Amino acid sequence: MTNSETGLKERQFKIVGTRPLRPDGIDKVTGRARFGADMAAPGMLVGKILRSPHAHARIRSIDATKALVLPGVKAVVTHEDFAEVGADLQDVLENVMAQDKALYDGHAVAAVAAISAGVARKALRLIEVDYEILPHVTDVEAAMAAEAPVLHDDIVTSGVEPAPKTPSNVVHRHEFGHGDVAEGLAQADVVIEHDFKTAATHQGYIEPHACVGSVGPDGQGELWCCTQGHFWVRNTCAALLGMDVSHLRVTASEIGGGFGGKTTVFIDPVALALSRKAGRPVKIVMSREEVFRASGPTSSTAMTVKIGVRRDGRITAGEAVLKFQGGAFAGSPVDLGAMTAFACYDLEHVKTVAYDVVTNRPKQAAYRAPGAPMAAFAVESVIDELASKIGMDPIELRLKNAVENGSQSSYGPKFGPVGLVETLVAAREHEHYTAPLGANQGRGIASGFWFNFGGQTCVSLNINADGSVALAVGTPDIGGSRASMGQMAAEELGIGYDKVRTIVADTASLGYNDISEGSRVTFSTGLATIQAARDAIGKLCGRAAQTWGISPDAVVWEDGYARPAGANAGEFPPLSLAEIAETAAKTGGPIAGHCEVNAAGAGVSFATHLVDAEVDPETGRAKILRYTVVQDAGKAIHPSYVEGQYQGGAVQGVGWALNEEYIYGEDGRLQNPSFLDYRIPVASDLPMIDTVIVEVPNPGHPYGVRGVGETSIVPPLAAIANAVSAAAGVRLTELPMSPPRVLRGIDEAAANGKA
Amino acid sequence: MREQVRFLLGQEPRELTVTDPTMTVLDYLRGEQRRCGTKEGCGEGDCGACTVVLGRLNDGRVRYEAVNACIQFLPTLDGTQLLTVEDLKRPDGSLHTVQQAMVETDGSQCGFCTPGFIMSMFALYQGTPNPPQRQEIDDCLAGNLCRCTGYGPIIAAAERMYAIGDRTGDAFRRLAGQTVDSLAAISDQETVCVGDGSRRFFAPATLDDLADLVLAHPDAQILAGGTDIGLWVTKQLRILDTIIYIGRVAELAEFGETDSTIEIGAAVTYSAAMELIAGHYPDLGELFRRLGAVQVRNAGTIGGNIANGSPIGDSPPPLIAAGATLHLRRGKDRRSLPLEAYFIDYGKQDRQPGEFVERITLPKPDAGTQFRAYKISKRFDQDISAVCAAFALRIENGRVAHIRIAFGGMAATPKRANQAEQCLSGRPWSEASVASAIAALAQDFQPITDMRASADYRLRVAGNLLRKFFIETTQASAATRVVGAGNFAHV
Ligand SMILES: Cc1cc2nc3c(=O)[nH]c(=O)nc-3n(C[C@H](O)[C@H](O)[C@H](O)COP(=O)(O)OP(=O)(O)OC[C@H]3O[C@@H](n4cnc5c(N)ncnc54)[C@H](O)[C@@H]3O)c2cc1C
Ligand code: FES
Ligand code: FES
Repeated sequence: MTNSETGLKERQFKIVGTRPLRPDGIDKVTGRARFGADMAAPGMLVGKILRSPHAHARIRSIDATKALVLPGVKAVVTHEDFAEVGADLQDVLENVMAQDKALYDGHAVAAVAAISAGVARKALRLIEVDYEILPHVTDVEAAMAAEAPVLHDDIVTSGVEPAPKTPSNVVHRHEFGHGDVAEGLAQADVVIEHDFKTAATHQGYIEPHACVGSVGPDGQGELWCCTQGHFWVRNTCAALLGMDVSHLRVTASEIGGGFGGKTTVFIDPVALALSRKAGRPVKIVMSREEVFRASGPTSSTAMTVKIGVRRDGRITAGEAVLKFQGGAFAGSPVDLGAMTAFACYDLEHVKTVAYDVVTNRPKQAAYRAPGAPMAAFAVESVIDELASKIGMDPIELRLKNAVENGSQSSYGPKFGPVGLVETLVAAREHEHYTAPLGANQGRGIASGFWFNFGGQTCVSLNINADGSVALAVGTPDIGGSRASMGQMAAEELGIGYDKVRTIVADTASLGYNDISEGSRVTFSTGLATIQAARDAIGKLCGRAAQTWGISPDAVVWEDGYARPAGANAGEFPPLSLAEIAETAAKTGGPIAGHCEVNAAGAGVSFATHLVDAEVDPETGRAKILRYTVVQDAGKAIHPSYVEGQYQGGAVQGVGWALNEEYIYGEDGRLQNPSFLDYRIPVASDLPMIDTVIVEVPNPGHPYGVRGVGETSIVPPLAAIANAVSAAAGVRLTELPMSPPRVLRGIDEAAANGKA
Repeated sequence: MREQVRFLLGQEPRELTVTDPTMTVLDYLRGEQRRCGTKEGCGEGDCGACTVVLGRLNDGRVRYEAVNACIQFLPTLDGTQLLTVEDLKRPDGSLHTVQQAMVETDGSQCGFCTPGFIMSMFALYQGTPNPPQRQEIDDCLAGNLCRCTGYGPIIAAAERMYAIGDRTGDAFRRLAGQTVDSLAAISDQETVCVGDGSRRFFAPATLDDLADLVLAHPDAQILAGGTDIGLWVTKQLRILDTIIYIGRVAELAEFGETDSTIEIGAAVTYSAAMELIAGHYPDLGELFRRLGAVQVRNAGTIGGNIANGSPIGDSPPPLIAAGATLHLRRGKDRRSLPLEAYFIDYGKQDRQPGEFVERITLPKPDAGTQFRAYKISKRFDQDISAVCAAFALRIENGRVAHIRIAFGGMAATPKRANQAEQCLSGRPWSEASVASAIAALAQDFQPITDMRASADYRLRVAGNLLRKFFIETTQASAATRVVGAGNFAHV
């Protein structure tokens, strides 16, 4: 088998590329699938968390005396019940349980375990916290101002020369790029610069965070939770509780959506700490309000982008300044925003500057391609306007500047084979691109990029005596990955898909697996699955060789059978996997394949989206009429699930672009912590989302797979902004484009005589 | 008095002594029954993950409706059949058509929303004989959030279930006779009273019993569909001592028409009344189609929307514009008042202790009266109005002979635009009069700024809606609405 691009294109697959039923399909429609909140343990208590009503306050004291004497209360914990941790986990710990200061509305300050939810709630009201209220700041630019209230005395901006002497809310200044932007801009015929703003949004998974934690008197712990990465949860919880990693076993439940938001811990260490104190299992389930107030939304941003272009469509330079607030702790994805901002374009002169800022908001968590959608919104909006200024088709302009195999990326490395041009060409050829538009309607287009990750992965593939296969992976399945893994294992082994059962194993059963994030699962776990299957094949061939009494080198594996390699090897009837498995006890014991790998070579991925929108000039309301996603998947293992990722990302983008936003009041409290007031799209908000899968194989994966989960949310904000701006007749630079903002834009343009 | 709540869980009769009267159906299912297929995504009626189906006797047949288990109190189940996702499988263990369709179209990604969608689609499948149009599907699904799929595969499943299913052979239809008998066997005229002594829940079955109970317990909380009250308990964590539920009172669930009016009992749900009202006021029918989502409309009542007195309730503005009358009852005494007079101030209505809303009378529109209603919200379905507007207009001899304008979201109560009406009354229906009426809106209303919209936006849009109404009534074919089906969408 060859890994070269051409080889991959020629390879004929039997199972990969088909659309079999997923192993959890039936459980999900019958209600059997067990999610985070569905677990119960004997003697289980209910845990509830007391949260700060203040955006910023010093905690002078916490007195739980009254709560502890309430009948039915079994334990109260505060930050004192957690271990000392290293600098790398200090923020995680402080976010899980406030120490000297409450840093945002909703910040956990204490927790109780009681015999019922009612008692636990009552106990929360009896805990007395003495707060000294401090001035707060929730807006990114306000937080950067010299007079802003400072959240952390120990944050002094790094990455600037000379190093400042006083603390501030600006954690770090990043810079990426090459060339000389001033020189590039001087060569341009047209230069456009705009300021942009985006509101914080939430991943909006429908399943709230939930877990059951149990620590026995011997210090051995178990945790059942909904997470994208139970190995990381295990390591982190063990550290926060001061336990040996091997003393904690974590089982990942079915997960009701994560999109990056379930890559960290909020309640899990609290449940374990409560359980350790109470001596009984403790279940914590977040309410929807808690999810909004105290899990990890995205950054809100302020950005400035300046791009110059020649009349012939060549971009001469691009420059961006990005400011992202990441909530109360360092680590907004502004660096990723800066790296991805211009990644679609092959530029001689490019520079992005990025500021990571803290504010009195919940610590942001990853959300699908963290940082990239906002940056793409700003850059692709300017590109769109440049195209119309020079009178060039927007796809043509992008094609003239698109990166290809060998292009120098704006953030450093050179690209290998990439599929941006292919997506642009497919979009241009799509019937959507030339369909007629009516009055008050506009069409938008935008491209987007995401790196995709690899990372630590460990799988085990066990061949059972009856010829069926149990595949244990360590990456929670968030979108059908068990099916894709089963397909790859079956393809490699040459057996039927229905012979492979894929499960997500607990943390005691496999080596470390990185989180299901960064679009890494189908790539990394898939790669590990294929290698584990090959490992098993080697052993199967060995057993056949033993049976036949020939050298293992003289056996080959073809279509599910061990065969003698050639005439010289001797003449033996082929042995099927099932036949070899049946006699395994006699030929050396169980047969299993393994793979432990730190997967590198995750292929980057590009997408181009087309959107039609209509705007009501009287109310400012925008409606999405048509949507087409074109994206490079490298190789689609299960095309339905690839399409599912494309559609899901696009629709989350629709919500982000049009309606979703965190609204903070003057008091620094979140005003809309419910699904009624934080609007995610419903069925009637959307047209059917058309998808086109482009396949430019990734040479880093045996079948050519690229991650697909995240790129799909990168172009929508920009594509929709371009469509709505075209329909409204005015450039909209602030998200979400809710009816009041659109109407204001139309009014202002009318006042300026533009519309 | 009967001290147990009786209902069917699937086909099994249940008789419960309920000590916590505001325990939700969801907590009962997940906590007490360990039926965990029904999910909790929000606990406030917004996400549909908790959707269950209730079967109720209706003209000798069982009518199946989807509701949110998270905001329904357990005792309201009395006399109904409760179906959850666990009840759908066939006796031989194979999947119900709805489930099969969902599997075939890959309708689940993470699958957390799936049981809720299945139950909504199950209710559609039971209630709608013919394959639904996209809009019917959207209406059926608007109360269910899915964050993973973008809805495409779920919509495909709603279509597919009609292609693969044999509706007439459906197990629930085959068992219908038995279900009717079981439901009839548990229905009676006794007042149900459950609770723990200090907290009580009454569910009378007759209007006179209700009147007596409300008079005897003037501080009791009257409960209709619970789509407002449910949230007081699940979200605001309020403790309600005495509750009087009106949902079992047959007389209050009645609705119908006379020659000149439409009569709507206080316990009539939006879903029940929608068709009748839409027949006379198509725009009001459409507005109701956008009120909450189907789960909310199956439980929520027009009476509750009025009685709740919220400035952003969607029914008062159109009902006021249409000239509705409210009928109240206290013991044996009855009185009636124009609906607008009921709303005194924010949180204050013209209702005496011991009094309750009995009925609403809506006059049928005169020939020649043009009626329009508009709802402005960020999302088309399942969203609270920033502004709700309704207009009733009759022109005689080129002049405005009758005009009523009412707005929601513009003041502390639903309110008529008196000044604007005066600018129009008796004047020609022209650009100039409309412009002066728009200007007068600033005297009628000083709206507030909140997270839904700014004061400026509200005032601006209120004027634009009046202009839109003018355009719609003067230019026959003007395309003024971008969202929804044909002429009736509200934006
Ligand atoms: C997800 C969701 C979406 C919603 N969307 C909308 C929307 O789009 N537009 C909108 O307007 N509303 C909306 N609502 C609010 C609610 O559904 C409506 O106000 C509904 O009409 C309330 O009716 P109910 O029967 O459920 O009232 P309940 O909750 O039972 O009662 C509401 C109030 O009315 C009183 N009451 C009820 N009946 C009587 C009576 N006969 N006599 C005296 N007092 C009585 C109760 O005591 C209580 O104060 C929504 C609610 C939810 C949960
Ligand atoms: S749990 Fe969300 S509607 Fe009931
Ligand atoms: S499949 Fe995940 S929320 Fe619908």
